[in-house]
Amino acid sequence: MPHFTLSIGPNGPLLGALLGVSKPRADALTAAGQPIPQAVPITGLIDTGASCTCIDPSVLLTSLSLTPTGSVLVNTPSTGATPHDTEQFDVALVIPATAGATPLLFPTIPVISSELLVHQGFHALIGRDILDRCLLVYDGAAKTFTLAF
Amino acid sequence: MALEKELETFRSKLQELTAEHEGKLVRIHGNEVVDAFSSYADALKAGYSEFGLEPFLVKQIHAIEQAQFISRFVDPCATRRTI
Repeated sequence: MPHFTLSIGPNGPLLGALLGVSKPRADALTAAGQPIPQAVPITGLIDTGASCTCIDPSVLLTSLSLTPTGSVLVNTPSTGATPHDTEQFDVALVIPATAGATPLLFPTIPVISSELLVHQGFHALIGRDILDRCLLVYDGAAKTFTLAF
Repeated sequence: MALEKELETFRSKLQELTAEHEGKLVRIHGNEVVDAFSSYADALKAGYSEFGLEPFLVKQIHAIEQAQFISRFVDPCATRRTI
């Protein structure tokens, strides 16, 4: 089973990933004669309190030049009791495994755009939509976590 | 305003969409409900194939939409804004 083990730092369980445009969007860009934006290396915080994966708009709008293709209701501590309609984007996400092992690949996955992430030291919250495909071992005593998939 | 027209179409036709396609993903372009799919990837692929880089909406059909939940303090980017 591909996996990796990383240290838990002051900001929590952080991992590196690659975020790019989805395969269908890449095909549409090619058909329109437009360049496909390079995949962007991002830092993500594993967050079991997030039901879906969230990405900072600086990555979605600036680096990947995406436009939304969806909208979902989202509740956060900042929205109070009333959920907000929030933009949803289709992306491709790759989480590398140890050298030589198959990475965790999502060719087309919906994510939502959330501000204030970069200010907290990362670009993404890796939510339960991704963790549902994984085995997560959080070893707080050893200050490490392992993600297998 | 991103997808404003498509969201209005979705809301206006939600009752009939729910009756026919509850749980599926609908694809909407402007005022037109194009079709419904069982998988997100299939709906996206069909959307980009037909509409290219024009705006289109893919949204799951539920009579009562279950909200996503994020326990961390973040600011979700509102759908109704200019980008």
